[in-house]
Amino acid sequence: MSDRVGPSGLTDAQSEEIHRHLIQGTQIFAMIAVLAHLLAYIYSPWLK
Amino acid sequence: MIYGKLWTVVKPTVGIPIFIAAVAIASFSVHLALTLNTTWVKAFLNGKAATAAVVVHMPIDSA
Repeated sequence: MSDRVGPSGLTDAQSEEIHRHLIQGTQIFAMIAVLAHLLAYIYSPWLK
Repeated sequence: MIYGKLWTVVKPTVGIPIFIAAVAIASFSVHLALTLNTTWVKAFLNGKAATAAVVVHMPIDSA
C-alpha cells in the first residue's frame, strides 16, 4: 500500500515522513512564537 | 496522520517553499503593521525603557 506512487512521484510512506517533519517544524515555530508573544506582553501589555 | 498523503499529490519542492513563504509574508506583514502603528515597538528597537500601552479615558457621553 505504501509503495503506491502519487502524481508528485512520492510514495505514501515518503509523503507521511515529510509531513511528520513539517508538522514538527510548525510546532517548534509555534512554541517559539508563543514564548516571544509572552515576553512581548510582559514587556508591554496591549489592549489594556 | 491527517493530510499525511498530501505530498503524494503536491511536489514538496513546490509546496513547502509556498508554505514557508506564506508564513513569512504573513508574519512580516503583522510585524510591519505593529512597527508602523504602535510606539512601543519603535521604542524597544531604539533601546528605550518599556512603555506600557496608554489608556485614554473618554467619558461615555462625550461622543
